[in-house]
Amino acid sequence: MPPSQLKRLKASLREQGITGPQQSKKEKKSNKATGRNNDRRVQRNVALESIREQFNPFEVKATTKGKKFGTANDSIVGKSKDPVARPGVTRGLGEETRRKTLLLEMQRRNKVGGINDRRFGENDPFMTPEEKMMERFTREQQSRHKRGSMFDLEDDDDGGEGQLTHFGKSLSFDDAPMDDFEEGDLGVSDESDGEEKRGRKRRRPSEADGDEEVSGEEGEPEPERKKSKAEVMKEVIAKSKLHKYERQKTKEDDDELRDELDQGLPALIALMHGHPAKPAAPPAPATQDPNMHINPERAALMNGAAKPAVDKEYDERLRQMAFDKRSKPTERTKTDEEKVEEEAKRLRDLEEKRQRRMRGEEESEDEAPTRDEEELEDDADDLQNDAADFGFDSAPLPTYSSRRPPVDVEDEDDFLIDDDLVASGSDLDLDAVEEGSDESGSEEEDQDDGEREDDDEEFIGGLLSKDEKDMPEFGFKLPSSTGAATSSNGELAFTFPCPQTHEELLEATKTVALVDLPTAVQRIRALHNPKLAADNKAKLGVFSTVLVEHIVYLANQPSHPPFSVLETLVRHVHSLARTYPDEVGRAFRQQLKSFQETRPNAPTAGDLIVLTAVGCIFPTSDHFHQVVTPASLSMARYLGQKFPQTLHDLATGAYLATLCLQYQRLSKRYYPEFMNFVLNALYVLAPTKPESSNLPANIPYHEPTMSLRLQKAPSAEPKPMHFYDTQPPSAPLKKDAAESLKSTLIATFISLLDTAADLWTGTSAFFEIFEPALQTTQFLQSKASRAKLPQDSVLSKTIRKTHAKLQRVLQHARLARRPLELHHHKPRPIKSVIPKFEETFNPDKHYDPDRERAEASKLRAEHKRERKGALRELRKDASFIARENLRQKKEADRAYEQKYKRLVAEIQGEEGREKNAYEREKRMRKGRS
Amino acid sequence: MPGLVDNKLAAKKRKRDTEVLPEKSSAKRKVGKGSKNESSTEDSQSQIPLLESQILESRRHYNNIAKLIGLLRQRTSKSDDHLTAAVSLCRVFCRLRAAGCMTKSKGSAENEVVIVQWLRERYGEYITGLLDLLDDGTPGDQTTALSLLMRLVKDEASNMKGGAEDYPWRSSTFSSLVRKLLTLEHGTDIITEFVETFVTACDDIRFYTCAIVADLTSDALEPTPALSRNVLSILSAIEDPPEKKDDLEEFYTERPKKPTHALLSPTSQKKQVQEAWLALLRLGLNKEQRKTVLGLISHRIAPWFVKVEMLMDFLTDSYNYGGATSLLSLSGLFYLIQEKNLDYPAFYPKLYSLLDENILHSKHRSRFFRLLDTFLASSHLPAALVASFIKRLSRLALNAPPAGIVVIIPWIYNLFKKHPICTFMMHREVRGDDAKDRLTREGMNDPFDMAEEDPTKTNAIDSSIWEIVTLQSHYHPNVATLAKIISEQFTKLSYNLEDFLDLSYQSMQEMELSKEMKKTPVVEYEIPKTIFTKSTDPAYQDSLLVKLWDFS
Repeated sequence: MPPSQLKRLKASLREQGITGPQQSKKEKKSNKATGRNNDRRVQRNVALESIREQFNPFEVKATTKGKKFGTANDSIVGKSKDPVARPGVTRGLGEETRRKTLLLEMQRRNKVGGINDRRFGENDPFMTPEEKMMERFTREQQSRHKRGSMFDLEDDDDGGEGQLTHFGKSLSFDDAPMDDFEEGDLGVSDESDGEEKRGRKRRRPSEADGDEEVSGEEGEPEPERKKSKAEVMKEVIAKSKLHKYERQKTKEDDDELRDELDQGLPALIALMHGHPAKPAAPPAPATQDPNMHINPERAALMNGAAKPAVDKEYDERLRQMAFDKRSKPTERTKTDEEKVEEEAKRLRDLEEKRQRRMRGEEESEDEAPTRDEEELEDDADDLQNDAADFGFDSAPLPTYSSRRPPVDVEDEDDFLIDDDLVASGSDLDLDAVEEGSDESGSEEEDQDDGEREDDDEEFIGGLLSKDEKDMPEFGFKLPSSTGAATSSNGELAFTFPCPQTHEELLEATKTVALVDLPTAVQRIRALHNPKLAADNKAKLGVFSTVLVEHIVYLANQPSHPPFSVLETLVRHVHSLARTYPDEVGRAFRQQLKSFQETRPNAPTAGDLIVLTAVGCIFPTSDHFHQVVTPASLSMARYLGQKFPQTLHDLATGAYLATLCLQYQRLSKRYYPEFMNFVLNALYVLAPTKPESSNLPANIPYHEPTMSLRLQKAPSAEPKPMHFYDTQPPSAPLKKDAAESLKSTLIATFISLLDTAADLWTGTSAFFEIFEPALQTTQFLQSKASRAKLPQDSVLSKTIRKTHAKLQRVLQHARLARRPLELHHHKPRPIKSVIPKFEETFNPDKHYDPDRERAEASKLRAEHKRERKGALRELRKDASFIARENLRQKKEADRAYEQKYKRLVAEIQGEEGREKNAYEREKRMRKGRS
Repeated sequence: MPGLVDNKLAAKKRKRDTEVLPEKSSAKRKVGKGSKNESSTEDSQSQIPLLESQILESRRHYNNIAKLIGLLRQRTSKSDDHLTAAVSLCRVFCRLRAAGCMTKSKGSAENEVVIVQWLRERYGEYITGLLDLLDDGTPGDQTTALSLLMRLVKDEASNMKGGAEDYPWRSSTFSSLVRKLLTLEHGTDIITEFVETFVTACDDIRFYTCAIVADLTSDALEPTPALSRNVLSILSAIEDPPEKKDDLEEFYTERPKKPTHALLSPTSQKKQVQEAWLALLRLGLNKEQRKTVLGLISHRIAPWFVKVEMLMDFLTDSYNYGGATSLLSLSGLFYLIQEKNLDYPAFYPKLYSLLDENILHSKHRSRFFRLLDTFLASSHLPAALVASFIKRLSRLALNAPPAGIVVIIPWIYNLFKKHPICTFMMHREVRGDDAKDRLTREGMNDPFDMAEEDPTKTNAIDSSIWEIVTLQSHYHPNVATLAKIISEQFTKLSYNLEDFLDLSYQSMQEMELSKEMKKTPVVEYEIPKTIFTKSTDPAYQDSLLVKLWDFS
């Protein structure tokens, strides 16, 4: 048991030497003399204070949780923090701050800085702050409106940025001769002016003699008398007027000088040219003279001549100036090298983009979110199809046709517009449009535009003048056979409607000769250029789809229109496709769809042309392309599914195989169906029927019902295949024609093999792909075939050459072959299931693995704490206020009491005095009397 | 009277068959009409009912039967006389039989016996006439003849007294009817009708038809193609077997009274059908029929077999047949191997030999791959064998349509997951400087031997699947992406093969074209100077198309 409180007190008093044996008188005296006594008293007081503190159980509070375990750095950390709380001290501090803040607030309640607050609605408790603000704003506007005059330009000057300028100078009359607006008492002048004035004002007391004028003022004989404000202002005004006048003066002088110079200029020029100086022009009429050096408008204004008209003009000019574009530095004209470099860079960029698409990477960042979305959806759907991951999902996705990147929206079909075409005056608008579009477009697009402009001029520019039409670029070379048609060119109509359906197109071009069709299309495109009318853009879009339809229609005609026309049309479609990629893409897909749904194994000439055009217009090297992929699938479908029965089947196959290779000229992708078809066709055409031992193991062989074997190879060099060989002939072929077609087919297939071998070198399974081909060429050279395919024929030589080449490349492929090493992946970390061990576990802390929940609960706890704290503070405030009120009341009461007492005392005193006086008076009267 | 018979017949039949009924009644109406309105032009039309009624009136007019038979025999293309005659004869004989005029009773007079005998002979003639009608009549004739014959069968059965319950089926009318049907050269329609109306509907008819089929085919000395065709068309229509006794409740004639009767036992029913099938298989089938049978085996044939093992020979024969037939027999064979412990020693070599150049182009591709997936599902198969399958299929994939490739790649992935030893085919590092030197000097041949028939000896495990790597640059983006799974980390447990099986050019094309374009298609930035024509600019390289093709 600890000793009692009293005992401890005594002990500590004794310890401190406060209580102890009494000092003798002698000691006291000596202490007093040395001043030690004084020292001692101080010491004693300190000791007593500490003891008092020590023994007050309420002054110091131990923290609820002490430190449980000591740590090495306790001494450092522990000192910085006081282990004991002193509630008394904190309370005192709180009280102190309250006294400083709350008390002041209390005292200042309902008083604002000693000034009566008369702001609108300030003392109206029923108005919300918004209402107050609104009301004040309307008041302000009203008052300003009343004050503002018609030409009060200064009103807008607060805007700063929106200042009117002319040639880079402000229009705010700062530089113009100062007039009455400048006067300080108006108090609305320019900010800089105000600044100046303020500066001056500020300066005045400090540097009394700096400014001579000010010093003049200051130096007046009666400096003690302070000038009134009105006087000061008057002085300022006078001074500024003086300034104004001086400036006007110098400006007039300058103008005069300049005029003089101007008049002397012709003489100077004449002197420079060596002409004798002409006598100076007679001076201008004197009446004009005084106005020469000032602004004509101002002059007119001064003269008061035709005031309204001048006003109007002035307004107009001002407005125009306000809308003037800020002049910008024009772009420097580029040197040829720079142009070439730029072009190269553009091409490089385009190629890079193409490469990216070829690798199947995402094109641009705007694609990324959609991808993510899809992935998210995928994740959500656990039951989904494995095949759908790879796009083999038959369920068509919902369409978002509206999603479309904003590139290329701009119109690239810029071309020079002839005066004949466009009504005069409208060029202004066109320019405006162009400028607008230029501004919105990025620089890169501008470049593209420029490039396309060049290209498209080729397609539409030709219409502008008749001479240009003869230029070889435009157009198309007329085949000699249709030379007669050129004469009709001159009679071709110059205006065409923009056909919106294929029937309309047929109707419109009914009278147009086939060879003139490209010109007609050119004219349609020029006439309906999107810049000429708002709806032309949509119209041309539809027209481009009609054109696609028309190409198919033309190719399917039994009359076999010249390919130069088709070619030009395809190129027109290509150029339109840059502006209308969606429309053209959709049109081609439509064509492919009808081809696939109705005749997948019997393509018409139109279908073949569509496939060719797709290969030109769209980038075939893309990993995935909305038009190219179906097109390439449909070609492969024919090659894979069609078992050729006739020569034109084979020819169609050969054409499609050629297209396959052409599609893959850059990306070099592999077509299994290509090899199947080509080898099968060669076996079908071979002079002798192959034995099963001759047939390659991997490729199914299909014997046609009617033999298509080569009977006798013509010795002449085989002609190239003709496009219309792919179509069923109108009459059965003659024997020798059939034979020559067969040999041509063989030659074509062989050269396709040759090209394919070049294309697919380096693929890992090259050996497996082309070994059957080698077998095939071997078979074509076998003894059995030799009789019908003589060794010395051109065809045979071609075969031999390709055979040798195949042997060579196969040998090379064998040398280059290495075992596959596909899986040099970084090993994946094995998922750990050991629970995470918390090193410094604290049961009070929350270890919520769910971050969001943890944060929410943390926030909630903080809120609770804050709330409690706020409540406590409020409570304390309330008690403080109550205490304070009580104190004030007591004070007031006491003052009242005092006053009352004083008054009573005063009255009593007076009473007493009066009484005394009365008594004295009485006594005196008595005594007198 | 005629109406009576008709109603009775109709009432009986309404349950099972509604198709025949309107036809018949319309025929009747026509007959009636003819007799009323066109009596002047067509005597016989009005004559027939007269003759019929006379027969029924008295015995004296029995000779009218012979007249009617004569009418039935002399068929003219125009009129329906023979049909009318046949119908009325049917009625006549039914009534006579009901009246007991066609049964000899003990102790009857001799002339009675003679009449019965005579009637029976006429009856026989009548049946023959109807069968002839069935053989070479018009479709309408055939239908009528068939229904009349079946009516007579019913009549016979219902009037049969005593214990020989299956007598009317085994011999006489029904038997000759079925035999006639089976040997028809060109009567697929009538056989279909027979099957649909009677065989599949009535348990007893099915039972006895099968019995007759079994008898007939075992009797037949030289099987004709028509016979096997007809048998097949009848048997293939027979659907699910009865499971228990209660299922057997559709009888054409009366339900047999004896509870132990064969008709009432599902097992004996099954046995009968099984016999019929076996008889058919013994007949010898051509390739197409064999394929049809194999196609039916799992869901139509096997359920009827009490002993499925009986099919063993047929299946193994078919499996050895080669080509698509082997493919089709696979499932049956597998069932036997799995359930009935059939030992088929060279199963895997045979399966391996099925992987020929046509397999990926075949229309049975998905069926085959379902089975192949099952066969190679075991993780206890030797790795060399699995590797052979992988390598051979990847070789074939090099020349396969996209739909085939799409099946193979996930399948290979699954196999690699199951047989990690085989993953050397994807990743094999060359160790040792000697080996590396030799490789750079000589290159390498594919160690895999495509010609080797034994899948354990092809050295496929030493090879690599270069083919799949090549397919990573397949022209179709989805196929190419799918092929890339081989060279990525194998994180997925397995691919569900079922999702990849049923694709074709058609469906892939639809997939591409049915979707609306979501994004604007990219357009080639450069407009080519020439597309079809040869360019005049020597610097400009002509495309392959222009080089090889003449556009003029």
